[in-house]
Amino acid sequence: MKPWISEKESLKVAFRDTYLAREGAEAGDRWESRVMGRVREIGPLSPLAKFWPAFERTVWRLAPVSGALILALIALFRIMAQDLGYDYLSALAAGPQEQPLTELFELEG
Amino acid sequence: MPGDAEVVRQVLEGDVNAFESLLVRYRVYVLRIVKRHVPQHDVEETAQDVFVKVYLSLSTFKGKGSFSRWIASIAVRTCYDYWRKAYRAREIPLSTLTERHRRWLEQRISDESDQSFNERSSQREDREVLDWALWHMSAADRTVLELVYLEGLSIREAADLLGWSTANVKVRSFRSRLKLEKLLRGLTEQGGKTA
Repeated sequence: MKPWISEKESLKVAFRDTYLAREGAEAGDRWESRVMGRVREIGPLSPLAKFWPAFERTVWRLAPVSGALILALIALFRIMAQDLGYDYLSALAAGPQEQPLTELFELEG
Repeated sequence: MPGDAEVVRQVLEGDVNAFESLLVRYRVYVLRIVKRHVPQHDVEETAQDVFVKVYLSLSTFKGKGSFSRWIASIAVRTCYDYWRKAYRAREIPLSTLTERHRRWLEQRISDESDQSFNERSSQREDREVLDWALWHMSAADRTVLELVYLEGLSIREAADLLGWSTANVKVRSFRSRLKLEKLLRGLTEQGGKTA
């Protein structure tokens, strides 16, 4: 059985009008800046959007140190190679059979 | 000016400030919805909550259907959550209606409004009786009554906005109107005083 309230048109109209009239109530403007404040606190949504900038910052921050380290290692290897008096490249070219390990590492007197 | 889909894409790619254009575009629309459902003193805070939820849910907007409809759904559900919390915290003000309200209601029900009836006081009684009745309903019944009976949405439209089944909305729509009828009958029969 349908509620009689559905049939009382003037009542429904009165309630509907008063309900819709609420839209006219005033609201301030400051709430919008508070929305953006909260959104900025949350930060970017995309995990990738968060990752790549952080990754780039780290890589660029380490670049001078990495470059210096690479140059230092190259210099060190060159010095070590000269000190050993050993031509590594020739040894590689000659192959293992012609260069026994004992000779390679100067283990025999 | 970029469309909604373009702005959503920018925000999802990490441009937080782009969200402001959506806020500006839809602030009036969201406020209109929130003002209907929520008491005046909580409109601004609820509207804030709506936009924060919109921001957090942007990745779920698949582009099917209009963006305004999608935002309206979030706004309505946020208003429903507001009432759920209010009921749980028992923050429902119970008012006492008077003889004035009973007479007003009898006139409305009989559809024989007196031509000399004061229009301004009629609007006040409309509002007071409606608020009184809505405060006596559950959050779910109240929300459905507002959407279907007061705003005139179809069951399907209300169900889509709320994310509920049409069967659930249909049952609640019927139940909430019965409840409203019972409350109003009680008002006319007993003088409408509440504890």
